[in-house]
Amino acid sequence: MSIYDVIFYLFAILTIGSGYLVVTSKNIVHSAFYLLFTLFGVAGLYVLLAADFIAIVQLMVYVGGILILLLFGVMLTNKVTDVKIRTGTIHIIPAVIGTGLLMGVIVSMMLRTNWKSEPGELPFTTTYGLGRILLTDYVLVFELLAMLLLIALIGAASIARRDNE
Amino acid sequence: MIELIYLTILLPLLGFVINGFFGKKIGNEKVIGLIGSSTVGISFVISLLALIETINLPVEQRTNVVELFTWMSVGSLNISFSYLVDQLSLVMALIVTGVGFLIHVYSIGYMHGDKGFYRFFAYMNLFIFAMMNLVLGDNFVVLFLGWEGVGLCSYLLIGYYYDQKFEKGTVAQAAKKAFIVNRIGDFGFLLGMFLIFETFNSLNFLEVFSQAKHLTGAESTFGFIALFLFIGATGKSAQIPLFVWLPDAMAGPTPVSALIHAATMVTAGVYMVARASIIFASAPVILAVVAVIGLLTAVFAATIGLVQTDIKKVLAYSTVSQLGYMFLAAGVGAFSAAIFHVMTHAFFKALLFLGAGSVIHSMHHQQDIMHYGGLKKYMPVTFLTFIIAAFAISGFPGLSGFFSKDEILWFSYANGNFVYWLLGALTAVLTAFYMFRLVSLTFFGEERFSHDKYHPHESPKVMTIPLIILAVLSVIGGWIGIPEVFSGEHGNVFHNWLAPIFLDAELKLAYYGAHSHTEELILMAISVSAALFSMYGAFKIYTQRREIAEKFALKFKKAYMVLLNKYYVDEFYEATVIQPIQKSSEKFLWKIADNKLIDGIVNGTAVVITSFSSVIKKMQTGVAQVYALIMMTGIAAILFWIILSL
Amino acid sequence: MINEILNSITFIYPELAVSIFLLIIVLVDLVFHKDKKYIPYISLAGLVITGILVLNQIGITHFAFVPQLSAVKKYGMMTIDPFGSYFKLLVVVTSILIIFFTIASEEVIDLKERLGEFHALIYGMILGMLVMISASDLILIYLSLELLSLSSYVLAGFLKLRERSSEASLKYVIYGSVSSGLMLFGISIIYGLTGSTNLYVINSLIQGPQINLFTLSFSSILMFVGIGYKISAAPFHFWTPDVYEGAPISITAYLSVASKAAGFALLIRFIQTGFTSFISEDGYWTLIAVFDWQALLIAISILTMTLGNFSALWQDNLKRMLAYSSIAHAGYILLGIAVLSNQGLIAVLIYFFVYMLMNIGAFYVVMLISNKTGSENIDDYDGLGAKAPFLGVALAIFLISLTGLPPTAGFIAKLYLFIALIDANMIVVAIIALLNTVVSLYYYVRVLKHMYLTKSEREQENITPSIGSLVYLLVLLIPILFFGIYFTPIVEFARSCVSLLGI
Repeated sequence: MSIYDVIFYLFAILTIGSGYLVVTSKNIVHSAFYLLFTLFGVAGLYVLLAADFIAIVQLMVYVGGILILLLFGVMLTNKVTDVKIRTGTIHIIPAVIGTGLLMGVIVSMMLRTNWKSEPGELPFTTTYGLGRILLTDYVLVFELLAMLLLIALIGAASIARRDNE
Repeated sequence: MIELIYLTILLPLLGFVINGFFGKKIGNEKVIGLIGSSTVGISFVISLLALIETINLPVEQRTNVVELFTWMSVGSLNISFSYLVDQLSLVMALIVTGVGFLIHVYSIGYMHGDKGFYRFFAYMNLFIFAMMNLVLGDNFVVLFLGWEGVGLCSYLLIGYYYDQKFEKGTVAQAAKKAFIVNRIGDFGFLLGMFLIFETFNSLNFLEVFSQAKHLTGAESTFGFIALFLFIGATGKSAQIPLFVWLPDAMAGPTPVSALIHAATMVTAGVYMVARASIIFASAPVILAVVAVIGLLTAVFAATIGLVQTDIKKVLAYSTVSQLGYMFLAAGVGAFSAAIFHVMTHAFFKALLFLGAGSVIHSMHHQQDIMHYGGLKKYMPVTFLTFIIAAFAISGFPGLSGFFSKDEILWFSYANGNFVYWLLGALTAVLTAFYMFRLVSLTFFGEERFSHDKYHPHESPKVMTIPLIILAVLSVIGGWIGIPEVFSGEHGNVFHNWLAPIFLDAELKLAYYGAHSHTEELILMAISVSAALFSMYGAFKIYTQRREIAEKFALKFKKAYMVLLNKYYVDEFYEATVIQPIQKSSEKFLWKIADNKLIDGIVNGTAVVITSFSSVIKKMQTGVAQVYALIMMTGIAAILFWIILSL
Repeated sequence: MINEILNSITFIYPELAVSIFLLIIVLVDLVFHKDKKYIPYISLAGLVITGILVLNQIGITHFAFVPQLSAVKKYGMMTIDPFGSYFKLLVVVTSILIIFFTIASEEVIDLKERLGEFHALIYGMILGMLVMISASDLILIYLSLELLSLSSYVLAGFLKLRERSSEASLKYVIYGSVSSGLMLFGISIIYGLTGSTNLYVINSLIQGPQINLFTLSFSSILMFVGIGYKISAAPFHFWTPDVYEGAPISITAYLSVASKAAGFALLIRFIQTGFTSFISEDGYWTLIAVFDWQALLIAISILTMTLGNFSALWQDNLKRMLAYSSIAHAGYILLGIAVLSNQGLIAVLIYFFVYMLMNIGAFYVVMLISNKTGSENIDDYDGLGAKAPFLGVALAIFLISLTGLPPTAGFIAKLYLFIALIDANMIVVAIIALLNTVVSLYYYVRVLKHMYLTKSEREQENITPSIGSLVYLLVLLIPILFFGIYFTPIVEFARSCVSLLGI
């Protein structure tokens, strides 16, 4: 086990563990804080994959932007800190069996598959290539994404605004 | 004009739509009548122009297909609404539109003042539309649609006076009878169509017939196809054993009887047999069956016609009998003679019916000839035209009926045998007799009606002019088919015109004319003189010596009663077919099969379905977690299935 | 490089038109915020223009946006082909019908202020669907699916004051997220296996021997789950009744037709482009031996139609009943794909066209009646045949067509489906589908029974539709009856549109 692997597992445990706490925590503020660690862990994984640009975007946008906004939102909402989330957990046993079986299948699949790997050097920096490809080959995707964000904005505004009636 | 032939079909449809949907709003009889008859009239003109154009084409180019649109195309089944314009269909189209137009015009006068005037013309136009599809269609499906369409119109028009009584039952029952008996025939026709598709993988006339021409050795298949098609023809053309509906069809208005039940629809069976001549020619056994059935029907109906007293009934049985003649001709392979008789018969039988209608019209719907007599002085035009038609149907030399009937008789001897000829000639004699019985009792002799009740008068011009035109046609209509014995080699224009259509069938049948003209002349002389004698006899008896007929009837009372009751065929069917079906359906089908079995199955199924669906309903709880669980289970199940199958 | 992009733009004019009109609607909404009654007409104009642009594309077969930097410079991210154009046309026509639908719908009229957003979101859906129909790249597929879903989540919950509507929206979001998450997982596995996201490249790569079949099957299943959720195939259909019942009825009709059509187009393209090795002369597809797609599709479709039909049996809410019926119809259509032949594909195309007419029609009548009575409950349809003769007859024809009885176009749609099944020797399946149709007869006819045979206990005034509604219904009714008798035109049109851009 190389040092590389050790770091990977550390980040993986961080991500999964905090993710579990996000879901199970009964206090919404706690959940939001745990989410911070999840997102941070993912950023760490990106770094390990030498995806420098995405790692920074992850940190800046998700950890720095979205999460802080989320926390602000939660905290500014009246009395939300005291609200206990009533998540009824039902059908635990069948769910555990089901997901357990599914996970077994996935794990065995992951181990037995010979994944496609490209030989060659890792690029020193990905930003240049990413920018180039986004505005050439993937320009359609890029533009469509813009429309998607616009729709998300309109939708969010529509949900959030207060009706006169 | 050939490529515009579809207009002859669409125009009557247009007339139907206008009169059917807006007729009540229009209200004006003149406008409705004008729309109704002009659409048919224009169709006639178009057909005529198409005929002229076809005549000017060389013989081998006279078969044209006008495609309107493809109706459906499923696998190898390709059905299109396309129309076949050739020698045969043009003749039929001209008969339908020509005679149809005259009858439409006549109806303006006849139906005057009827509360359903617009309805009548709408149905009549619809009938012409369907009939034109029947005769012009270039495949069996269009023909069948027309076939069903005319059946429907016939049903509607027989039941036109649906609220009145007719003989022992009601008009509605008569219409129903026609419909049901026709269905039996149609079932046979459908089977024939399926078998054709199975055999030839096509329903298109030209394709099927060109394949049939070369197909050899499949005699039993051809036999079955021909048999089924012929069953269809017996239904539509009122042949034994399915003729019982036609006399009852007289419940409809008289112009309807003239158009549908004399001139056009009932000849559809003859047309279909002629159209599929190659198939019938490939099945000689069935062809013989056609001849025998036709012959039997001819004699059988003629004998019934001898004693009927209802003017329309006499004509109805006469129609059945004449249709028998046509099938006799087709059965001996003389297809063009059959079509020729279709044409001349359309002229004189339409004339007879319209004349009868004129009489009935002036006699306030009295139809019993025993209550007529001496009408000739009251309605001279009707009388004159009627007697011309009577001469024509009796085969008076020189008139149209003479040529067509003589041709049939000759071929029944030349291609058939002496017995065919003898029975055919007997029918001719009987026909002459009952026709002149009818003429004498109606127009001659003493007046057997009370002048207080009846005021016979000549019909208006709008009715008499069609009569006159038809009378002219009844006289000269036969001159295009003068037999070769008089006109010399290849002198029969009509025969030559149709010859290319029936060439294949005639080649396959391979009859050789080993008979001399002398033979033909002798047979002709015998049959004509017998018919003339019979005419004279009937005239004498029924104008001057009616007691002879009464004595005769008394002496052979049993035979007379049998004839008067139409051989008890209706009663026979009632006892053997209708009653058992009714009884068994009541006893078994309704009480046991329907009440117990079917209801039980239905209720049982409902219970099973209900319980199953209530289980499913429980799954849809509205609880999000349960949905997610089922979804995941579904994915897992698929994955395990894949693992097991890999 | 720039040439390729400029050239490709000429192939996405419909999508561009939709995007431009989306922006126009947003701007008009901002500028003229006092008077919003013109917005529906702007969106209609946009759709008509889009429709014309799609019509111009019919018959064209071409790749657009071919990556120039990658190794294989052959296959584009988008595929323009007759098959796609057919579905795009279907989507545009449905959208036009739905805009007219909303003009008459009280629910939408009551929105007033938010009308601009409503139409902008509908345009978002249209854009998503159009891209989805011709996308041949997994990234584009995912993105367009998200665009479609995101817009529909909001639209489903657009009536915020109605509790059911919000619940519908939330459920829709949850299941949508789960399915798109699964789909994304599938996409990443496929990428991990092949190193490509282009369906054409994937097709050529997975024919090699070194591919792990189980992993590939697993990822395909995950993809299928994502699509199956969109077309509401069992067992991924559970959101459907709740969402359809809660959403505004115009959106329900839209989701049940357009979004389903786009989903089916995607499924067909995914299977045909991704997994077909060759198409035989008589139109049967031979799939790459990954797993038995056909068995899976048959099982899912039978499950879908059976669950749909049996659940619809006892529904008293017409909207919910139609929701289940639309699930059942998805089952029939899926069967058309399961035949894996061009014959089946023709059946699917015909079915969708007819389904569009009859389903929107049925929803429209339900909407008109609920406008007046404020209820969608079947008991409120008692005696409707007498009170609203035209609406009664119209609904009867739509329901008879949905059942699939002649002389309606619904019969023709089913007929071609069964012909395809029998042609492929899938007799047992055909019989099961037929039995399902018989079951469906029950709940459709039940409505007719309430309309014509049950007398209403309450006194109600007559319902007379406006001239506009009358015309709208006639526009739907006449083709249903016309194509029920003379169906060659749609059959021929469908036949000319079956060809997908092959490899």
